[in-house]
Amino acid sequence: MTGTAEPIVMDLKRAPNVHAATQAKGEALRAALAAQRTGTGLAAEQLDALPVPHRRVERWKHTPVAGFWSTPEAPSVQTIEAAGSEACPVPGLHAYRMVFVNGTFDAKASDLPVHNGVRCEPISMSDADAGSQGPLESTDWFAALNQAFATEGMKLHVAKGVILDRPLLVHHHTSGENNANFMRHDIHIEANAQVELIHWSTASDSSTGMVNIMTHMSVESGAVVALDKVQDEAGSLQHLAFEQINQAQSSQVRVHTGTIQGNWVRNDLNFRLNGEGCETVLNGFFLPKGKEFVDNHTTVDHRAAHCNSSEQYQGILYGTSSGVFNGKVFVRPHAQQTNAYQQNGNILVTDKATINAKPELEIYADDVKCSHGCTIGQFDEEALFYARSRGIGEKEAKAMLVHAFIGDVLEGFAVAEVRMEVEHRLAIKHGWDTWNDTLESA
Amino acid sequence: MAYDGNDKVLEEVTGKSYEFGFTTDIESDKAPAGLNEDIIRLISSKKEEPEWLLKWRLDAFAVWQKMKEPDWPHLQYQKPDYQAISYYSAPKQKKQLNSLDEVDPEMRKTMDKLGISMEEQKRLSGVAVDFVMDSVSVATSFKEKLGELGIIFCSMSDAVKEHPELVQKYLGSVVPTKDNFFSALNSAVFTDGSFCYIPKGVRCPMELSTYFRINESGTGQFERTLVVADESSYVSYLEGCTAPQRDENQLHAAVVELVALDESEIKYSTVQNWYPGDAEGKGGVFNFVTKRGICHRRSKISWTQVETGSAVTWKYPSCILKGDHSVGEFYSVAVTNNAQQADTGTKMIHLGKNTHSTIISKGISAGKSHNSYRGLVQVMPSADNARNFSQCDSLLMTDTSGAHTFPYIEVKNPTAKVEHEATTSKIGEDQIFYCLQRGIDEEQAISLIVNGYAKEVLNQLPMEFAVEAQKLLSISLEGSVG
Amino acid sequence: MVNIKELQASIGETPILKGLNLEIKPGEVHAIMGPNGSGKSTLASVLAGREDYEVTGGAVDFEGQDLLEMDATERARSGLFLAFQYPVEIPGVSNINFMRAAVNGKREHDGLEPIKGKDFLNLVKEKASLVELDGRLRNRSVNEGFSGGEKKRNEIFQMAMLEPRFAVLDETDSGLDIDALRIVANGVNAMRSPDRSFLVITHYQRLLDYIVPDFVHVLVDGKIVLSGDKDLALKLEEKGYDWIKEDVIA
Repeated sequence: MTGTAEPIVMDLKRAPNVHAATQAKGEALRAALAAQRTGTGLAAEQLDALPVPHRRVERWKHTPVAGFWSTPEAPSVQTIEAAGSEACPVPGLHAYRMVFVNGTFDAKASDLPVHNGVRCEPISMSDADAGSQGPLESTDWFAALNQAFATEGMKLHVAKGVILDRPLLVHHHTSGENNANFMRHDIHIEANAQVELIHWSTASDSSTGMVNIMTHMSVESGAVVALDKVQDEAGSLQHLAFEQINQAQSSQVRVHTGTIQGNWVRNDLNFRLNGEGCETVLNGFFLPKGKEFVDNHTTVDHRAAHCNSSEQYQGILYGTSSGVFNGKVFVRPHAQQTNAYQQNGNILVTDKATINAKPELEIYADDVKCSHGCTIGQFDEEALFYARSRGIGEKEAKAMLVHAFIGDVLEGFAVAEVRMEVEHRLAIKHGWDTWNDTLESA
Repeated sequence: MAYDGNDKVLEEVTGKSYEFGFTTDIESDKAPAGLNEDIIRLISSKKEEPEWLLKWRLDAFAVWQKMKEPDWPHLQYQKPDYQAISYYSAPKQKKQLNSLDEVDPEMRKTMDKLGISMEEQKRLSGVAVDFVMDSVSVATSFKEKLGELGIIFCSMSDAVKEHPELVQKYLGSVVPTKDNFFSALNSAVFTDGSFCYIPKGVRCPMELSTYFRINESGTGQFERTLVVADESSYVSYLEGCTAPQRDENQLHAAVVELVALDESEIKYSTVQNWYPGDAEGKGGVFNFVTKRGICHRRSKISWTQVETGSAVTWKYPSCILKGDHSVGEFYSVAVTNNAQQADTGTKMIHLGKNTHSTIISKGISAGKSHNSYRGLVQVMPSADNARNFSQCDSLLMTDTSGAHTFPYIEVKNPTAKVEHEATTSKIGEDQIFYCLQRGIDEEQAISLIVNGYAKEVLNQLPMEFAVEAQKLLSISLEGSVG
Repeated sequence: MVNIKELQASIGETPILKGLNLEIKPGEVHAIMGPNGSGKSTLASVLAGREDYEVTGGAVDFEGQDLLEMDATERARSGLFLAFQYPVEIPGVSNINFMRAAVNGKREHDGLEPIKGKDFLNLVKEKASLVELDGRLRNRSVNEGFSGGEKKRNEIFQMAMLEPRFAVLDETDSGLDIDALRIVANGVNAMRSPDRSFLVITHYQRLLDYIVPDFVHVLVDGKIVLSGDKDLALKLEEKGYDWIKEDVIA
């Protein structure tokens, strides 16, 4: 038995769980990609040494990956059909925009910030060494795949004390078949700077293939960052998003993730609280329908004392959709006086919908207050009946209840226009034409 | 609870006095170390088992050979060398005990210190004590009374001989041999255990208990327990060792199967206090136990466990709620101190309609120990109106210990209601100071607070067990505040 | 009985008590009043031995013993009782078991056998009637789910059970309605005796209508700046604390 100077991160102690057939498929995909594009230089050996996810790998237990291997032909390199054709997804939003279509920077559609102390450019046009991504931190194969092939993305640097005057919207649009789009965003927010970011993903109806976006964010002391993340992709894409957010002393980061639409979505949101006094908020909602699949994995790693983290994910599952929530709160030794709160609520609307939830606490310091709650249930029949007895139609009543259920999360989105557009799109998807009326009368 | 003179008891619990066990006179009848088909044939023939059971064991062995020891628990230990273990040793020469006075005086002394004399146990509670391996007469005094009601309560070996039809029908029906690495191993080599059958409509009038067993082959490494409650019957079964168990065995891989037929109820309580190893984590028992019950229509299985012992615990007493309106419950207190590690919890598998389950888990981590709750609540598509409530709390006594919660919740039915709550916090300094100010010393204050914290679970234990469990908690946590 | 000399205490780096002097003789009831933040509750905590506070100077003699040398349990067993401003909830621990542990702890200290179950229950019954604490509360978990008034009555009940030589009541009147205040005060008054002393810490004069003190002291900025008889309390009620800051200190 060892002492507890360092926590036992059991995942790392284990021998990689390799499934030979899956491994071969993963390697085939990697080879196909390597044959048609220049990578970042991450060696094939390094990638092949990682286990390709399958059901027996804990982090991927409920996340079906078979779809990645189902198209045998080589992934295509899609380009922009008509530059500048992507409109801002949020009407009326006064924001800077950086647009990527099929993984390629669309300068014509973009409106980059021109602001003192802010450097914002696509990696392909950056002076800084695009390949300087540091050593491989993640042991996840898909994250490593991104590291090997993401040659485009955003590089954002906000200097000390600078407050960006408008939100910065990063728009990813995907169209065409058999995509394999890799993007990497490197974000560096210096001390006491403030910025509001929006990540918005859309796709055309006929789009297929994979979108793989990795965001590295380093937030220095006292900086304040809000990230509103909206996923509204038509078509049948497989969307992987990895975020690694490292927070220094007294910084504040709020991330809100709303999944409106997506055939197959996996979000991996990871926080590292490296300095004392960090504030972290991570909220999200997902309302999958039909055969959609939405998976939210989150980690909040409390590495320093006196930090607060608060997490709330709400899911409502329709049709034959399925959802995964896996939230991990990790409190390291010496991270005393940690307050960590986590809540996950789920509603199963139909017979065939499923949810797999795993709210985890791993705690190695004693003077902490940590709690988590998880519920799985249905719409409150009483409330539904009450509303209907007052003459409100069933559909409207349900819309009201949906709003009540995800209302706290929606409220948390930093940019009001984003919140309203999200509500609008949800209403369209679910046919709640009365959503906005409901809101106003509520 | 005022509890004095703890130091000596603690010494007994953790000290050097664990040298009981297999002694010299068994050497001649001990199988060579290692596991192969011949050893299994030897075990089976020594026990004069029928052919079907030998075949069952050999099948299990074949499965086991293909399996890997699990590495998913939050545990770190040196995996045992399964070929270095001797899988069969005949019980040592038995003395016929005519009265309790002949029970090993040291053991009696320890029990007395814990405040439980066996006479008292017997007198107060009518516990029928099953000294399975010893076939010692003291234990079987209640057998006649049970027999009148048609209740069968005997060792597994006897059951194989006397009630083969029941054993063959139910053995492995809840925990299939290939369920996991340890259950497969157990199925191949189990030496003995307990068997209990409650006939239709019978309410067992006393708590059945394997209360106090001297370590011979029965408590050996591979124990097998099977409890069958026939329709509309009831039984409360107590297992374990409220007195510190003396055992040199490093590895325990027991299997417990419960079958609750329609409208029956089984209450299964465990107080586990195996040797936890010394303060540095040297020695101690590896406790890898598979416990599972199956609930038929309108039946109920309730697991209650107080886990204070073992160096490593890997244990998930579970319920398969197969029948409509069946109920599963799990109440657990797990205390780890020094270098102990526990990864324990439950699985509630909801298959039937209107099935309910409740999980109350209280973990207490002291010293530099690690205590994990791992649980699964699974609602299958067929389980309309399934309900689950889970509460998993962790209390940390030191800044070198760890408390972890890994609840898996998988729901495939929209009518399910599942609620899970968990908290982790430090033992309240305000609470301790309040006690101190009232003249209650620190040790006692901690004991009070911890027992209060665990009360919901302790209340589930039969009365006489609860008192001892409380004392065990206190002993386990002595000197634990850092 | 209690003699506090030049007591200084701080929490962290912040000094709170800055040389406090107070002598309390057997049978006397002293009241300490003062504005918020003057150090009233710190004094109570320091006397009871809470470790969050560091004593940086001075001495406290308690019946010939050095109080500051004793740990909190010893102080309690030697006869010092603190009625908490915010009594702590201890889930799962019944009030009655809690008190039995406390009573037996004291008896052990006094060289007595543990109390017999029946005697204990009789004692509980007798003392509980003093503060009209009903049986339901006795069997509930310590302070859990008690109303503010019930908590304070429970404090006085515990005091009666433990029969201290010296009791410190820390803002016992806070959060009490007038009926509860009367009940609590009656309980305290019933315990007044020539060999028992009280230190009543309060922000308001109201409590002192019911528990009439022999002396009233005003604590400002960690020191006693003014002492008098019960009329001083009335004057404070009328004029507030500001005049002291202006007249006395300035």
